[in-house]
Amino acid sequence: MKSPGLRAYAIGYLIFLYAPILLLPVFAFNDSKVIAFPLSGFTTGWFVEMWSDAQLFNALKNSMIISMSTSVLATTFGIFAARATTRFSFPAKGGLIGLIMLPLVLPEMIVAMSLLVVLLAVGVPLSIFTVILGHVLICTPFAVAILSSAFQSLDKSLEEAAYDLGETPLSTFRLIILPLVMPGIISSLLICFTISLDEFIISYFLAGADTVLSAYIYGQFRFPARVPAMLALGTILVLVSITLLTIAEYFRRRGIAKTGGKDTGGFL
Amino acid sequence: MTTTKPTMIEFRDVHKYYGDYHALRGITASIRAGEFFSLLGPSGCGKTTLLRTIAGFEGISSGAVLLDGKDMSNVPANKRPTNMVFQSYAIFPHLSVEENVGFGLRRDSRSAADKAKAVAEALEMVGLKGYGKRAAHALSGGQRQRVALARALILKPKVLLLDEPLSALDKKMREQMQVELIRLQRQVGITFVLVTHDQEEALVMSDRIAVMFEGEIAQLADPETLYRRPHSRKVADFIGTMNFLPAKILSEAANVVEVEAPGFGRFALDAGQCMGAATGQGASVGFRPETLTILFEGQQPTDRESMATVEEVVYYGDMTYYDVRLDGTEAPVRISMRNVFGRPVLDIKTRTRVAWSPGALVLFR
Repeated sequence: MKSPGLRAYAIGYLIFLYAPILLLPVFAFNDSKVIAFPLSGFTTGWFVEMWSDAQLFNALKNSMIISMSTSVLATTFGIFAARATTRFSFPAKGGLIGLIMLPLVLPEMIVAMSLLVVLLAVGVPLSIFTVILGHVLICTPFAVAILSSAFQSLDKSLEEAAYDLGETPLSTFRLIILPLVMPGIISSLLICFTISLDEFIISYFLAGADTVLSAYIYGQFRFPARVPAMLALGTILVLVSITLLTIAEYFRRRGIAKTGGKDTGGFL
Repeated sequence: MTTTKPTMIEFRDVHKYYGDYHALRGITASIRAGEFFSLLGPSGCGKTTLLRTIAGFEGISSGAVLLDGKDMSNVPANKRPTNMVFQSYAIFPHLSVEENVGFGLRRDSRSAADKAKAVAEALEMVGLKGYGKRAAHALSGGQRQRVALARALILKPKVLLLDEPLSALDKKMREQMQVELIRLQRQVGITFVLVTHDQEEALVMSDRIAVMFEGEIAQLADPETLYRRPHSRKVADFIGTMNFLPAKILSEAANVVEVEAPGFGRFALDAGQCMGAATGQGASVGFRPETLTILFEGQQPTDRESMATVEEVVYYGDMTYYDVRLDGTEAPVRISMRNVFGRPVLDIKTRTRVAWSPGALVLFR
């Protein structure tokens, strides 16, 4: 970064990226219903208001169920797909992978609409269950991408060695493969969880009468009086995300140090 | 060489196809109990595939592989009395050295103390006493190799399979490990089957060697026979250096073949020196570089002698390689001479006498 122009660009870029997020806690603690400078005083009242919001907790509970189920399901499917594609060859493998990865680039709007049409036609009632269905669909490609690289870096002779030493294919998977791809599995769980928690369009289309967090927050912004409490919620979510990512990164680095592998960057 | 030992591994007309590719083309051979056996050949000759059919990692298309007299066709790899040292060592990176070595004992019913003792003994056997608690990934190449050996030997297999185990080591380390492997094999008395593309390694370590080309065994013999009496020009070329000169067969009796070759003149070879059936490519005589000797002033040949001109000199310190052209021949042949104190290294274009003996020649037809 020798040139002053590039330096200014980099700083400007980072401000654009993070300043809005830094504003969240600023206004969450500001003693005013109006989101504007100058600040009028310190309060923790918005957190108290948020805490006593039963609807919010209901939406949060729904979102947690959806995100956790989605991350576990998508990661499980990802493990199967990644294992199959890295170890075996079968007819139409390329095409199949392409179809699995397609939702990655398909507009979510289209996924949401087509799912809605099908679900209504079949007569499945809309609920958090249908949201999970949609989220698994869009999260699986991410899981496959992350896990494929984890499985690819696995030396095939490690499996053969375990097999040679008397283990069955199943115990080999449990004793050798699983521990070695664990960092990939954790990454996949976290990414899928985050994608699902954030997701708005499918959640909005397919949730029916159930409310999820993203849709709830969006709805609350129609009432200016509710905005500071939502900023308080946002502040907590930012803290939770940072903590989660730190933990994940810690485990990823420890895993690399433990197996003596080369640090290829991870997702942080 | 003991011929009384029972057969440990037997291949009966083993064929292996990968789709249209014929990887093993009718392998029939037996490996004796307690033998250090090598499968030697260039890459793609099927030697690793053959090794993997013993381990059970590779099925065979037809024929049979017998281990200690039992047909292995329905025995999976994890139930066979064989263990393998992999080319990449396949050390489990998330486990410690002792966890790696003791991995095969997991299904053993022995007590934890007995298992720990077995692990310690195995580590000591490979010269890694006291390394048990280390992380496996922090070891050097040579140490990993030893861990892989200890891990494979702890189950006391009937056969130890080694898939190019030394190819990742540097030259010094490789030579050291060769000697250690021989020592280890004598110590445990287990049948070792080694796959290698390094002819020197095979010659140094093996009781017997199977030289493989394109899915077939070209020759199976002990190292000395393989070196001195190769069955074909191809085997001779692959193992060490061999000079070839065109030859003419003058007469063939039951036990004696009369041959004439430029540079050597006329000489008689016995039947054991004549290899294979006629190939139609014309006959040639072959000889190793060390079987010819450059005669210095005053020296007398023990057998025959020819005149030659030095064309190239390569000095190696302990040895000097000369490319000399025997009078009456087209191409130079290589002679290797030990550099004895007081003996000069000849210059290019020097005329010299060369001593040779018909007994050291082989005839290819």
